[in-house]
Amino acid sequence: MNEVVLPAMPALAGLYRQAVVGAVLRRAGRRSAASALPVVRLRASGGPVDRERLTAFQHLVGQAARDAVPSAHVHTLAFPVAMSVMARPDFPLPLLGMVHLSNTVVQTRALRVGEEFESVAYAENLSPHRSGTSVDLVTEVSVDGERIWTGRSVYLARGVRTVNGREEHPEPSPDGFPDGSPGTSPAATDDGRDAALPGNGDAFIPPVPTAQWHLASDTGRAYAAVSGDWNPIHLSAPSARLLGMKRAIAHGVYLAARMVELAEPAAPDALSWGVNFLSPALLPGTLAVAVRPGEATGGSVRRTEVTGWASGAKRPSFTGWVTGQAVDPASP
Amino acid sequence: MSNQPGAGAGTTTVRNAVVIGGNRIPFARSGGAYAHSSNKDMLIAALDGLVARFGLQGERVGEVAAGAVLKHSRDFNLTREAVLGSALSAHTPAYDLQQACATGLETVVGLANKIKLGQIDSGIAGGVDSASDAPIVVSEGLRRVLLDLSRARTPKQKLAAVSRLRPRDLAPNAPTTGEPRTGLSMGEHQALTTAAWGITREAQDELAYSSHANLAAAYERGFFEDLMTPYRGLTRDANLRADTSLEKLAKLKPVFGAGLDTPATMTAGNSTPLTDGAAVVLLGSEDYARANNLPMLANVVDAEAAAVDFVNGQEGLLMAPVYAMPRLLQRNGLHFDDFDFFEIHEAFASTVLSSIAAWESEEFCRTRLGLDGALGKINRSKLNVNGSSLAAGHPFAATGGRIVASLAKALAEKGSGRGLISVCAAGGQGVVAILEAR
Repeated sequence: MNEVVLPAMPALAGLYRQAVVGAVLRRAGRRSAASALPVVRLRASGGPVDRERLTAFQHLVGQAARDAVPSAHVHTLAFPVAMSVMARPDFPLPLLGMVHLSNTVVQTRALRVGEEFESVAYAENLSPHRSGTSVDLVTEVSVDGERIWTGRSVYLARGVRTVNGREEHPEPSPDGFPDGSPGTSPAATDDGRDAALPGNGDAFIPPVPTAQWHLASDTGRAYAAVSGDWNPIHLSAPSARLLGMKRAIAHGVYLAARMVELAEPAAPDALSWGVNFLSPALLPGTLAVAVRPGEATGGSVRRTEVTGWASGAKRPSFTGWVTGQAVDPASP
Repeated sequence: MSNQPGAGAGTTTVRNAVVIGGNRIPFARSGGAYAHSSNKDMLIAALDGLVARFGLQGERVGEVAAGAVLKHSRDFNLTREAVLGSALSAHTPAYDLQQACATGLETVVGLANKIKLGQIDSGIAGGVDSASDAPIVVSEGLRRVLLDLSRARTPKQKLAAVSRLRPRDLAPNAPTTGEPRTGLSMGEHQALTTAAWGITREAQDELAYSSHANLAAAYERGFFEDLMTPYRGLTRDANLRADTSLEKLAKLKPVFGAGLDTPATMTAGNSTPLTDGAAVVLLGSEDYARANNLPMLANVVDAEAAAVDFVNGQEGLLMAPVYAMPRLLQRNGLHFDDFDFFEIHEAFASTVLSSIAAWESEEFCRTRLGLDGALGKINRSKLNVNGSSLAAGHPFAATGGRIVASLAKALAEKGSGRGLISVCAAGGQGVVAILEAR
């Protein structure tokens, strides 16, 4: 696989612009879709972590301002590199309107305040999905050549079939937005296309809640301020409506960060977690949350299951797990 | 030594409470490295380091007691919330305590007593304060309007409540170091005491210089390596001026006591600055320490609190420890000569010097303390040998934990002897305590 070293950590704003241009070219037929993923890894250097931004992130997700960087914050630090892969002209799926299905993170040790890091991102597992095509974006974060954090984000391009090098039946993007961030699934738009998402079928019977998250209307803006991801779908009802949503929705990594804090408030260095986004958490809103402590396979290590849902919802907003060891999410 | 007849527990034998170790984060100057860290953040950071150092992950500690002097009302359960945010077992109970600058020392005394009585086997005592992230409250006028507004049902009632609001009500109130009953700041109170005892500018600057020199030397020899965890980029107390000199200190302008008829002597150099930080101490019974293969640095022997009537000008605001000291020494049958280390909290250099002068004064000790003569002299070479608050800074509730952990380590290094702690506090209070080498 070729490796391309980026001159600096890319800015998300520029990548969003690039994605919009790509979408226009694609629509105009000026750019043909590829049938395979680019065989390339992008690399960029980052850090040291900005202390004020870190503190603000930690406070927003309910964490103590420790010197260990929360594993979810590492995602936001390295996300521009993954976004750069998806914004490439030879990336086969339209970034606009992509739905974030899940995240898994495996961390062998925490990134620390003051440390510089390297981030590598690539795409793999271009796979047919019953509602389109899914792809995994893998991001690795290393300090001094040692990989300490690996994240896998699964995205779905709805209605896109990549066969023989061209898109068949490209469906107009439901929300018209280059959604590279999680938790932005438009599944809650009452358009009957919910079947795209996992967790459908079995009726959801809410567990006994152990917590309640009040998500104020400014939750998305507050998260954008600490993550740098100003995706309009999270910012306000009008900006979200422009993109086909009923209301602004909570950022998936914000929900994941709170999930991890709830399950492992003093997260050990070795930590893994996964989260599936099943329906958007609308803002403002309230999520009931259930935490169920258990043991990881093999015993001895805690593995906590967390579910979040809105009252009366047919499906949870998210289901996830957190465990205090570095396990490979591919073989849970 | 821990069983003191006459201490109120009769002749009941109690077991020893030992200092196992301590941890603090470097103290930052207000508005510095910890400007955006809350009390809870810093207390958790101090706990994190203690938990890591002594392998307490997932352990149920007998009890955690800590406090903060400047505390936001949302932090009503500060210590318990810090425990829940730490790697300690969630089954660890905790409580908050507040006794102004004596908070940290009083948590040590309280938990040590529980250990001695067998109520708990282990405990973590400490404190935290942030002058940067201090709570700011709305004015009394605005507060009343808001409360009435929340109770108002009709638009007319709501309008009536809001109409009482005046522009001046919109100014917020930040906490001050002023005494509620006198309106004088702590510095102005101490200036009265400084003048009364005739403490010179030179003597104050010399004490401040020693504090910086001793703290710098302690860092140089690695004294704090197992007493401190770096935090937010700080590895040493930000207030430490290793290169300060008597000449530099002499150049500073006085900041307290300008209105008195004696020359003002108290400067920013010989007064403690506003500081952010946290400190915790791990205490246990001997059995607990042995069972967990933990060190035993020193015994917590005994403690005494005192208070003075400063409101009517009968005594200086920060002179209460002077009264507590003879009671503590008498109960334990000890004299100043029996101690190898003196840890007298340097709220101001002149606080330490006024206390020492009082104990040396035959007249004062006879008339005020009811003694036959002077309590005694303190050998200055044994005073604050690893630096104190003038150099390290003084995050109010964190100071007790800093002193106890440092003194216990100094006693363990020496391998014998006793240490005496004296901490003054707002409200005319003070706490003194004895530690003993094992």
